Amino acid sequence: MQIEIDEISKLFGETAALHPVSLTLPSGALVALLGPSGSGKTTLLRILGGLELPTAGRVRFDGQDATGLSVQERRAGFVFQSYALFRHMTVFENIAYGLKARPRHARPPAAEIARRVARLLDLIQLPEIGSRYPTQLSGGQRQRVALARALAIEPRMLLLDEPFGALDAKVRKELRQGLRDIHDETGLTTIFVTHDQEEAMELADLVVVMSMGRIEQIGRPQDIRARPASAFVRDFILA
Amino acid sequence: MARPFIQRSPMPGLGLSMGITVTMLSLVVFLPIGALLMKGASFGVFNVWEAVNRERVWAALLLSFRMSLLAALVNLVFGVLLAWVLARYRFPGRRILDAAVDLPFALPTAVAGIALTALYAPNGLFGSLAKEVGLRIAYTQWGILIALIFVGLPFVTRTVQPVVEEIEREVEEASATLGATRLHTLRRVILPMLMPATLTGFALALARAVGEYGSVIFIAGNLPLQTEIAPLLIVIKLEEFDYDGAASIGIAMLVISFSMLFAINLIQIWSRRRIGHV
Amino acid sequence: MSDITQSRFRPATTEAPAARLVLILLAVAGLGVLVLAPLATVFAEALAKGVGAALHSLTAPDAWSAIRLTLIVAGCAVPLSAGFGIAAAWLVTKFSFRGKALLITLIDLPFSVSPVVAGLCIVLTFGANATLGGWLVANGWPIVFALPGIVLATLFVTFPFVARELIPVMIEQGRVEEEAALTLGAGGWRVFLTVTLPNIRWALLYGVLLANARAMGEFGAVAVVSGKIRGQTATMPITIEMLYNEYLSVAAFSMAALLAVLALVTLCLKSALEWRYADQLAATHRH
Repeated sequence: MQIEIDEISKLFGETAALHPVSLTLPSGALVALLGPSGSGKTTLLRILGGLELPTAGRVRFDGQDATGLSVQERRAGFVFQSYALFRHMTVFENIAYGLKARPRHARPPAAEIARRVARLLDLIQLPEIGSRYPTQLSGGQRQRVALARALAIEPRMLLLDEPFGALDAKVRKELRQGLRDIHDETGLTTIFVTHDQEEAMELADLVVVMSMGRIEQIGRPQDIRARPASAFVRDFILA
Repeated sequence: MARPFIQRSPMPGLGLSMGITVTMLSLVVFLPIGALLMKGASFGVFNVWEAVNRERVWAALLLSFRMSLLAALVNLVFGVLLAWVLARYRFPGRRILDAAVDLPFALPTAVAGIALTALYAPNGLFGSLAKEVGLRIAYTQWGILIALIFVGLPFVTRTVQPVVEEIEREVEEASATLGATRLHTLRRVILPMLMPATLTGFALALARAVGEYGSVIFIAGNLPLQTEIAPLLIVIKLEEFDYDGAASIGIAMLVISFSMLFAINLIQIWSRRRIGHV
Repeated sequence: MSDITQSRFRPATTEAPAARLVLILLAVAGLGVLVLAPLATVFAEALAKGVGAALHSLTAPDAWSAIRLTLIVAGCAVPLSAGFGIAAAWLVTKFSFRGKALLITLIDLPFSVSPVVAGLCIVLTFGANATLGGWLVANGWPIVFALPGIVLATLFVTFPFVARELIPVMIEQGRVEEEAALTLGAGGWRVFLTVTLPNIRWALLYGVLLANARAMGEFGAVAVVSGKIRGQTATMPITIEMLYNEYLSVAAFSMAALLAVLALVTLCLKSALEWRYADQLAATHRH
């Protein structure tokens, strides 16, 4: 799905988290929103997911206005920084949650739900953990369960907020490849937020560098490296 | 751009939760308190003052306030001691003791009232002991004091206890490595850290005691000018159908309560600024 | 030699054993005299003439109607106060708006109003002489000296309990699990029932427990609004007062013992919650 961000701005009280920003993301791309904390990248991601309402501007999905679409209607697979797994539910119940939340006529039968959850557990290469609770999982496992839960609703896009932020270096490397594989397999337009320039450059097809609520540069990793558009971008990608 | 009154959000239930909160708060709290103030306004500020400015009313208000202050002071000392013992020491029966602190919260005030009276009456267990040394407790101001200590007991302990549990041992160890004796550490390092929570608990116990009725009236004796507390005076006025008089004393008590609430908030703001938590 | 130095060693964060013992004994003695002795007195006085006399007094018709009324009042007031507490906590913790601190202060307001003054306020609002109350009485809806007034008075004094338990817990848990459920397509009620409620259930139970204890035991506010009509508007605490003033000591203390048992059960459940579900209660309850 192609995503078009048209002059989106966001004020929190009197501070501007986003100055009007515009951006078009091609269908099927793996995009990194890269910037230091406070650059507005998470706010932009939450606006795309419908968790935050923009102060002004429009969002279009495949050319259709989606600005007023509720969170539920957006069908954005959202992976939270802390994963936000439901603590009182098993892994199976977490992944099945979105399917069970569908209105009765659109809800798959129980056997079908079980089948889909099993397939997703295979996809994240954790086929055996369906009956465990989130507290019994390692950080990397939790991240993959959160990803599977987001994929279960057959999302139109995948939005990830600092997906590798809470993990140690070794697991981080493994999961990066995992995300790349899942992206290639599903073909979903995928946007992830990160403050780690190496991660953005290595994983993404397209990198959006942000600072203080503005977009500094958009481009392929090699182009950004070769021709940084500003002093800020040059300093940030060298760091 | 002005800050919006409500930050827009996709979280559901804003209308419903605000509707329930505002409606119930208005119906149960604001409407009745408003009616009291309206009654005072229609009676006239001067008349309210006249109704309060009488020997019997002053005696009752002063008695309520004086006894509450004394009881809160006792609770302050004993409450800090209890909080320290419960948070720091491990001994058999600690759990029971810890649960017993909350008994004055859980035990209905009328039950506490008749139990204390039975205990401290001249023929009761403690009352007869006191009589040996020539002291009457029940039906005197001593009885009021005992009842108010009882109802205020949990407040200081329950506000101070979590703070004691959060004190970093390293602070005490630092004091010791600098050569301070244990007593010096307690006095100069620990007690100041407990001060804000202690004051909050003290103010809560005081506010509770000023308005207390059920546990006091049985043991007080209720003699005008001597052992008659302010809430009882309201009940008496109501029984005489003197609604204006009752409303006047009610407003006086409300003013006292709200001043205390205000003071509690000031203490909390002040302590949050100094220590970082309450 | 090393034995001697070791026996004299004491960690820098503890008091001398003797001081510790004195403090513990003071705590035990103080609580014993102040709290446990009155509790024991209730049961001793109730059983002064034997178990039979105590039980007999509780089977009197007036005693029965008092017990029934108290259960009805708590059954009305506690769910209402829980519903309010949940709504208020949701409002305060899920949204950002101006005046939030003021709202939280207002929710706590009933704690700083004397129960007698609360009862007085209700009499002045809904009594037969008041404008609103007079209109209600004329239309056959008496509030004061009847069940609705008692429920209202009880609601007033129990109002903050659930809200003030839930607000700190829900602040600590944040909004992120609810947001996750929303992105997965769940509607408002589903989010509340399947995500929020399981996370706050023990804190909710804790608040309900305290509110219920207060509701069943409230005396001052109810004394003012009930009119103390025997067999009709006399709750258990009011009945205790009437029996006590008639020098029916065994009957008064028997009913008091019943309420004391309720208080003890409440304390046991409360301690059990604090012990078992400490992680899901407000920080101040984690001992």
